[in-house]
Amino acid sequence: MMRSYFKMIKPLDIIIVISLIILSFIPFFIFSVIHAGTVGKAYTAVISVNGEEIKQIDLTGHRGREIFDVHSDAGHVNTIEVYEGKIRIREADCRDQVCVLTGYISKPGETIVCLPNQVLIEITSDSGQDEDIIISS
Amino acid sequence: MTKNQRMAYIALLSAQAVIISLVERAIPFPFMFAPGAKLGLANIITCMALYTLPVKDTIKVIFIRLLLSGLLGGTISSFMYSSSGAVLSFAGMWAVKKLGSNRVSLIGVSTAGAFLHNVGQLLVACWIAQTWSVLLYLPVLSVIGILAGIATGILANFLLTHVEKLEYYMFLQNTAEKK
Repeated sequence: MMRSYFKMIKPLDIIIVISLIILSFIPFFIFSVIHAGTVGKAYTAVISVNGEEIKQIDLTGHRGREIFDVHSDAGHVNTIEVYEGKIRIREADCRDQVCVLTGYISKPGETIVCLPNQVLIEITSDSGQDEDIIISS
Repeated sequence: MTKNQRMAYIALLSAQAVIISLVERAIPFPFMFAPGAKLGLANIITCMALYTLPVKDTIKVIFIRLLLSGLLGGTISSFMYSSSGAVLSFAGMWAVKKLGSNRVSLIGVSTAGAFLHNVGQLLVACWIAQTWSVLLYLPVLSVIGILAGIATGILANFLLTHVEKLEYYMFLQNTAEKK
């Protein structure tokens, strides 16, 4: 019984099935090649004080830990820490400590604000669009 | 085949295809991880039409099935998905069948059809969502589609060789194509 089924399979059938399975992964490879390039998930943290941009940090290519101070006009200091693609304000001499309590941010659109010291950290993405895509049927 | 016989046969195939797709829609699909994946049982009818009717009449069967199953239990979006899938899959199945019956069997034809049906659906989904990243979903759909395509190919082959009339019509069609 089974043999009659095997007999109906022609050589090209196997080739077609295999090539279709390979074909179905092509979009996946194309997308992974594109995303490996410049377009896509290149996140940048933009730090500004008093509305003026003072530093940009490439978060996607960032490895290890980097700690530096940001000085604002009235002599206030915010210590910023970048660690494995995430950024946070580690220490601040402001009175409410909201910025420190915000913790790490890593996704485009997220922000850390220190209102007393006028410090703003914002994450932007190269592709200019949010990750939050919702598709419903 | 006389003209009336052919008309009745086209109507019969379309009716069967409509019923099959309605019944299939009523089956709750077991693979919850892949919404949108379907068995594509109506593909059996398309395969049979392709092997027993001229291209012109096969297109008629597919068109009637699309229209009726869309009207009887579909929405505009499901009609758009299934029609783009059906157009692509018919073109693919016809091309694969052109390779010759001694080189490729119904299994190859129906898997190609199932795969291209998924591609067509996802292209419409890409157009609706305005992003190409929907195509990343293709491997999940096409693996299920290809497995279902192998099954429908075997089924259609079984029908074509075991139902006397179908075998006779296939013989007529083969000789007409060779002329």
